[in-house]
Amino acid sequence: MNPETILAKIQGDLAACIQDAALVAPRRIQLKARPEQLTAVLARLKETFGIAHLGTISGVDLGENFEVIYHLSNADVTVSVRILTPRRDPRIPSVCPVIPGAILYERELQDMFGLVVENIPDPRPMLLCDDWPEGQFPLRKDWKFERPAEIIPGGK
Amino acid sequence: MIERLVHWSRVKSPWVLHLNAGGGCNGCDIEILAALMPRFDLERFGVQLKGTPRHADVMICTGAITLQNRDRVLRVYEQVPEPKFGVAAGACARAGCVYRGSYHTLVGIDQLLPVNAYVPGCPFRPAALIDAVVKLLNSVK
Amino acid sequence: MEYKVSLGPQHPALHEAISLRMTLDGEVIRDADLKLGYSHRGIEKLAEERSYIQNIYLTERICGICSHSHTTCFTQGVEQLMELVPARRGLYIRTLIAELERVHSHLLWLGVAGQESGFESFFMYTWRDREVVLDILEWISGNRVHYAMNTFGGVRRDVDELQKKKILDSLGLLKKRTDYYLNLAASEPTFVGRLAGVGKLSRQQAIDLCAVGPTLRASGVPMDVRKDDPYAVYDEIPFEVSTADSCDVLGRAVVRVKELIQSYHIIEYILNNLPAGPFKVKAPRKVKPNEVYSRYEAPRGENVHYIRSNGSEKPERLKVRAPTLANYPATIAMLKNGFIADIPLIFAAIDPCICCAERLVQLDDVRGGGRVLRFSELRAMANERAKKIDYTKKDIAWPF
Repeated sequence: MNPETILAKIQGDLAACIQDAALVAPRRIQLKARPEQLTAVLARLKETFGIAHLGTISGVDLGENFEVIYHLSNADVTVSVRILTPRRDPRIPSVCPVIPGAILYERELQDMFGLVVENIPDPRPMLLCDDWPEGQFPLRKDWKFERPAEIIPGGK
Repeated sequence: MIERLVHWSRVKSPWVLHLNAGGGCNGCDIEILAALMPRFDLERFGVQLKGTPRHADVMICTGAITLQNRDRVLRVYEQVPEPKFGVAAGACARAGCVYRGSYHTLVGIDQLLPVNAYVPGCPFRPAALIDAVVKLLNSVK
Repeated sequence: MEYKVSLGPQHPALHEAISLRMTLDGEVIRDADLKLGYSHRGIEKLAEERSYIQNIYLTERICGICSHSHTTCFTQGVEQLMELVPARRGLYIRTLIAELERVHSHLLWLGVAGQESGFESFFMYTWRDREVVLDILEWISGNRVHYAMNTFGGVRRDVDELQKKKILDSLGLLKKRTDYYLNLAASEPTFVGRLAGVGKLSRQQAIDLCAVGPTLRASGVPMDVRKDDPYAVYDEIPFEVSTADSCDVLGRAVVRVKELIQSYHIIEYILNNLPAGPFKVKAPRKVKPNEVYSRYEAPRGENVHYIRSNGSEKPERLKVRAPTLANYPATIAMLKNGFIADIPLIFAAIDPCICCAERLVQLDDVRGGGRVLRFSELRAMANERAKKIDYTKKDIAWPF
């Protein structure tokens, strides 16, 4: 199946729960969804089109909102499904029931952006060190790091 | 007499522990292994790579220390019996390389441990490591 | 009686930091869990503070073995953002380096597989021949590990006629050696017997857990970014996607050996069909606001960079997903119901590159009471178990 046909079919099939589906580059489809319908969209993509390989989940800090992008692909096309979640109450549903391989990416989002992934099977912190202070999320744009002064061995 | 014998054997056949401090790119580790392979053959100087810190005389550290790994590195260093020598191998171990300014690494091994020799390069060539080991041994004599 | 055993973060065989915690029932692993974070360096945050050209230097240092993978993935993504068409000769040279890197990475893996299965001389042999590839890379780029070849619009160094001839000569030697290893491994029943049936991962599991690269292809899924989503010049180069159906460590070895042979063909094709012309074109400094999802088939599997620009000289966001991270869920599935003695082999079979995966996992002493197992002991146990294998089994054979 070529990307155009897949796009047309997605637009027809999922018209109720997606917006702005478009072919943005060769073999790249982008579409928007609402967070509450995310799992339904992913399940549909997986069952109907066989688009089951989750490349990664990228989070982006947009200021007011966080954007979370799910990159899925099969042999023909890559589909990026994006959802928005407000900064003051950042919640996204877990997609692990549909794609079990998403677990590490969701844990990473929790660590780096402070998103709350609802019903995640394994909510433990993953990447940051054990004594990392609570409530510090390094990939948020307003989080800045000050490098402490260095010790120069032999002292100069 | 025994002391002289121990000293002699230490200089002639130092046992080396290779420790990855976490925040490196792995290139240096590969080059350390390459130095032990038939092409460069570090073992002809009596240098032997050991798996456990308790058998080692020299600890070769690669990579910048990550915060998560900081206490582990210290623990491994403390397990090396005296007298011990630290070698900071590669740019990350010396001064952090590209990871300088990262929130999760320390800039260089020497912020945490005493270091006896530095090996420059990102990554260093196996020959540079051999040179460092030989120089270190000469200074111990 | 259930034991809890943890391995890492400092262990002598992997040279990198990861911690693996397992629940054991006798010798059988019932549950496994990975603790990551020992190699987290915060590269994604660092990338936001650097300009695009500086980021090539940074992305190269995500990993030392597949350094070219990360820079190519990043560079081709940014080129799309810049709407820049790179020089064709540059793309060919970029592909040439990529394939040489695949050869060196797979040779390295074959050696590690040999070592983990107790075949030490195989380890020394393959690593000696790996030096040949490193020499080629050094002739071209001047470096053994970080080649620093990529730049926006092409590559930084050209390949001349003399180098071309030298590479072809060395390639002949490598081909001969690879054939020798194939025969050696095929005629060595202990090696084949040790790898067969270990670390099973069914086709459906591999798909569900989003495994990538040789791990996925050894479970019979022909997914290869070079074919599915061709980048650089892969749509012009004839090659086959290597797969195996045995779903075990032997399958993964077979896939890698087949890929080695394919890579030799690709390198020859590139050298014989190298187009004339410039090897790089000039690139703008600033990038319009846009976003791109760049995929690349690294030696370990699909490598993914998501880059978003904001109109300035620095990227708004760089998200890197290295192949090893994608393979962790699959590794846990492979470890379950396996034997403790098979851990090194299963773990090595995904060709883990831990610093890659974390940009941002060693096996260590037991914390919280329990037995301490060193990796060397583990390997000794593994070799012990290998002695018990019935090599008269008729159905196990090296598939070449």
